[in-house]
Amino acid sequence: MRSARWLALGAAFALYLSAAPAAQADCNLRTHQHVVLYSSTEDPDVLLWDSRFRLRAYHAATFDEAQELVRHARLAPGGTHAVVESCVPDFVDSPLFERPADAVGVLIVSGKYSGQRGWVLGPDVRP
Amino acid sequence: MGGLCSEGRIATPRRSPGVPLTRITGTLLLTAFLVLALVFAVQGAFQTRARIADTFDRQSQIQAAQLELEELLRLQIDEENSLRGYALTHDPFYVGRYRASTQDFDTKESAIRTMLVSQSPPHGLALLALLDEYDRIQVEWRRDIAVPVLAHPNQPLSEFERRTDKAFSDYETRTVAQLRDQLAGVNADLARSTQTQLDRTSYVRAFWLLVFGLLAIIFNAYSSRLGRELEQERTTTEVLQRAFLSEAMPLPNAEIGAAYQSGSELAVGGDVFDVYRLSDDLALLLIADVSGKGVDAAVLTAFIKFTIRGIALRRRDPGAILAEFNTAFAQTVENPYLFVSMFVAIVNTRNFHVRYASAGHDSAFVRRSHEVQQLAVTGPVLGVMEEPFETKQINLNAGDVLVLATDGLTEARDRSGKMVGEEGAIALIAQADPAPQRLVDELVAKVKAIGGNRLRDDLALLALRPTSVGIGFDDA
Repeated sequence: MRSARWLALGAAFALYLSAAPAAQADCNLRTHQHVVLYSSTEDPDVLLWDSRFRLRAYHAATFDEAQELVRHARLAPGGTHAVVESCVPDFVDSPLFERPADAVGVLIVSGKYSGQRGWVLGPDVRP
Repeated sequence: MGGLCSEGRIATPRRSPGVPLTRITGTLLLTAFLVLALVFAVQGAFQTRARIADTFDRQSQIQAAQLELEELLRLQIDEENSLRGYALTHDPFYVGRYRASTQDFDTKESAIRTMLVSQSPPHGLALLALLDEYDRIQVEWRRDIAVPVLAHPNQPLSEFERRTDKAFSDYETRTVAQLRDQLAGVNADLARSTQTQLDRTSYVRAFWLLVFGLLAIIFNAYSSRLGRELEQERTTTEVLQRAFLSEAMPLPNAEIGAAYQSGSELAVGGDVFDVYRLSDDLALLLIADVSGKGVDAAVLTAFIKFTIRGIALRRRDPGAILAEFNTAFAQTVENPYLFVSMFVAIVNTRNFHVRYASAGHDSAFVRRSHEVQQLAVTGPVLGVMEEPFETKQINLNAGDVLVLATDGLTEARDRSGKMVGEEGAIALIAQADPAPQRLVDELVAKVKAIGGNRLRDDLALLALRPTSVGIGFDDA
């Protein structure tokens, strides 16, 4: 009887171990990781958003809505250095990507926006 | 096949329309089914082919549009990069490249639009809506970004204008990605549709094969049944003929030759002859041709033979025999379209005085040495009207041959359709061997040869030659 209880506990623990890394696996970035911002679209500059929800809204918006939304973003030139502060996996859905993209919170460490924080799209962040 | 009715009338000559009509209807129905199945199968094959060709055509247009779209995106990037180059360097070279890219972009966009217009809704409409959006954004980008830069190259874009430029670029890239996805989806749909149609074609082909197979089996079974029925009828008729018809009884002082050939393998005819001894000195000679073929005609020939014998036993005058038979025929046979041509002779087998009457039967000849005389018709065919029949007499000498035939002799035709006729028949008889059996066998062979080794009609032949002619009294 006791051995059966241990077996059940062991199985539950194994299940937890196999499930836990999968939830984190979508964000390939670590906190405090130094990265370079470079857009995955044909324009290399990267939009730095004040809110990850605006980041998400921008990629789902019509063009007129997008024009309104860009007022809440700064345009960091391609090649700007930053440090990862947080990452929300699969947060932004767009027809540009085969699967939802991550929203990455960064601290800019170079250029004219150095010291400023913001949210960028996962594919625009190069380790 | 029928028989004698309880009221003593022969029903068989009025051919029941049900049996052959059923056969004809069945054959026609099966043939119609086969033809219809064939028409549907061929039409279906053509329709499927047209549908598949149309799908392939649409698919190739979509694939071309996919390639053109990539080219369009390249031209858009060229346009934007040329503008950036001009903003950075102020080199007019970039203005030229910008204008060329703009022109090419518009041409390419128009070509893609033409391709998408031919696509049926809803795919075509959705694709066109996306292309419209793409085109609208590009026009707005030219107006809001490109024109100010070209007008004032020394004035750098403001932070807001640069963000707007980025938004334009992102939005166009996104629209192109959507167009790309949609085109890929339509392409996949069309490929699936082609595969479905090909699958359906296989099933339809299998179905028609099954239908054709089944119809062929039914047709074969039906044809076998018809063949069996016809064979049964023929066998029955032959048995009837063997039992009832056409026999040449030997006569004293005379040689007899007889032959009967059917013109069809499947149906027996209505020709009949009879040589019957009425007394020591008298014999009945009969040859007749009934219109029609098959069991009905065979039954009627039996009726003719025994009725004529019965009358001849009572009456010795051929004209009176025909007249009485004509009355009996009209009262007994129900079918108004049946008629009979008949030659009846009463032969005195001592002196060979032959008294005869002919009911429309003109194929009766007397050959004396090599001269052949045709015996005259003495009345109308039987079953048409009640007319008296004249009796005539000829006297045969030893060596003379009385030749009686049915119309299979005079109406025999060669391959070109030319008929032997009465003169031809006379010539054939004149040239033939005088021995009665050899004479009739020779006539049969010649008629067959004329018709290309086959008979088109039934042929009955009867020949009588006195071997010795004595003195005797005619018995009226």
